[in-house]
Amino acid sequence: MAAPLSIAYTHVHSLRTASGAEALVARVLAADGTAGFGFTLNLDAGVARDMAAWDALAQAKGVPLWGLLGGSHRKVVKILKDELPAIPADWTALRKDVLEGRHELLRIDPFAWGSVEMVSTIAAVAGAFDLSIALLAPNAHPWEFQYCAALAATLKGEDTRIISRKDFPQKEMKVTTTPGIEIDWSLESSFSKLQWQS
Amino acid sequence: MVHAGSMYVIQKTERTVVELKLENGITGLGETWGTPDVYALAQRFARELIGKDALDRFSFREIIGKSSYENRFGRNGLATIAGLDLAAWDAAARSLDMSLAELIGARKRESIDVVSTLPAAIFPRAVSRKELTDHLDVPANTRLVVDFALEQVRKSGFRSFKLKSAAYSPEWDWKLLNELHEALPATRIRFDPNANYGAATATELCRRLDPLGLEFFEDPTGELEGIARLKAAVKTPVATNMWVVRDEHLVPAIRRKAVDVVLGDLFMWGGIDAWRRMARVAHAYGIKPALHSVYETGIATVANLHLASALAEVEHPNDSGLHFLAADVLSEPQEVKNGAMRLPTGPGLGVTLDSARLDKVTLETTSVRAP
Repeated sequence: MAAPLSIAYTHVHSLRTASGAEALVARVLAADGTAGFGFTLNLDAGVARDMAAWDALAQAKGVPLWGLLGGSHRKVVKILKDELPAIPADWTALRKDVLEGRHELLRIDPFAWGSVEMVSTIAAVAGAFDLSIALLAPNAHPWEFQYCAALAATLKGEDTRIISRKDFPQKEMKVTTTPGIEIDWSLESSFSKLQWQS
Repeated sequence: MVHAGSMYVIQKTERTVVELKLENGITGLGETWGTPDVYALAQRFARELIGKDALDRFSFREIIGKSSYENRFGRNGLATIAGLDLAAWDAAARSLDMSLAELIGARKRESIDVVSTLPAAIFPRAVSRKELTDHLDVPANTRLVVDFALEQVRKSGFRSFKLKSAAYSPEWDWKLLNELHEALPATRIRFDPNANYGAATATELCRRLDPLGLEFFEDPTGELEGIARLKAAVKTPVATNMWVVRDEHLVPAIRRKAVDVVLGDLFMWGGIDAWRRMARVAHAYGIKPALHSVYETGIATVANLHLASALAEVEHPNDSGLHFLAADVLSEPQEVKNGAMRLPTGPGLGVTLDSARLDKVTLETTSVRAP
């Protein structure tokens, strides 16, 4: 379930964040000219492109991400500090461990698992086994929290949350109702300096 | 057409058709069971939908309760929600200028293979249970079902059949399935006695049928334990539309390794998202999801085509009974050609309601409006 979008053009840039980390930023241009953006700090361009495609589609349709995925289970997502390890991105192992009851909460790094579709599939499995998902913002970057909030809106489970290795000033995030994934790109000044080909 | 199976001999089907109009003027179409209970619930639940956001369909299910414990409406509640949910998905997709398949996830296939039901016996009119069993006492009458199947192949090119068994006689079913296999060696055949055989009889029959290489045995017996034991005793895949029919059934079936195929009915599962989640979970654990259908109008038939197109997890052909109905409610004929149906083009379901056709078959109408 990649975004059902006719993609005219896609491009990935590298940028340096204010904290000195490297991020990849993808832009996807839909056939109607709508641009969508995605990012990752784990240097896997695939997740950035996937996010950008969903952002472009949501922007083009004038709806938040959850409007394309069926709905929103919540208006606000809790943010908690959690130092337990995230589940490695190994689908075979995750399915087996869930079946064997080895998890009480699925700690998932959505940037490691790679796509909205994968997160939705894990969420379906989690829901069937009465498990909730904790979405990890692996670098505690504000963009990561914003993306996790957009995903968390669509996940069932009373214990759905965003988790971070570090304390984060906000204790919760509102689920957006504006079009797209609603990442605040202005939080990194280097973003505005990126030169996108037309 | 007269449908004779293990559960009923019927000549008609009653459905609830839903038209859901958004504030932007766009109307979505839905459909569900036409029983008096479901029709009454549809009116009641529709009132609770007034003012809700059609983009936020996850919230619809809360009308019947957050958990299965809270759902005091049982399967009727789920079926009612499914009908309203389908109309909201259609309306949302039309509003977004996307096909329903795209909104579900993708539009991967334009043509979907469909299955033709084969009645347990062929009659020109509805008959009593006694007349049915008298007919089934004459082995030569199996030929009528084989001829009926051949006629479906000639008319519409069907490559897949579902034999509805009356579960009256294992010998009748064994003879008929062998004759069907011989007459149509290249077709897929699923066998469905609706769990009306006891576990021992069903297992013995299914073992004898194994060499035919049928597509699957659908609910050869019940309940989950019975079907799980049968599955362990046969080589042919085993499917269910009776014992794994809603969220809380799925994990026990996975743990018990009870079935190979969940033949999920959109209305039993409670709507598009519930069906999509079931497909993902089933597939994750090696169970194939497939689309069940009874005698539905074009609305639900087309909804099932969109689900099959959108979800790569669906590999088996869709059940369909639309081609047997004397009338439909859509303007566009939904035809079976070469054993398949085309996915309509255009936003949403891609179909339009034909008011005149609907009026001809309408028994009752209710409108629920915003105050």
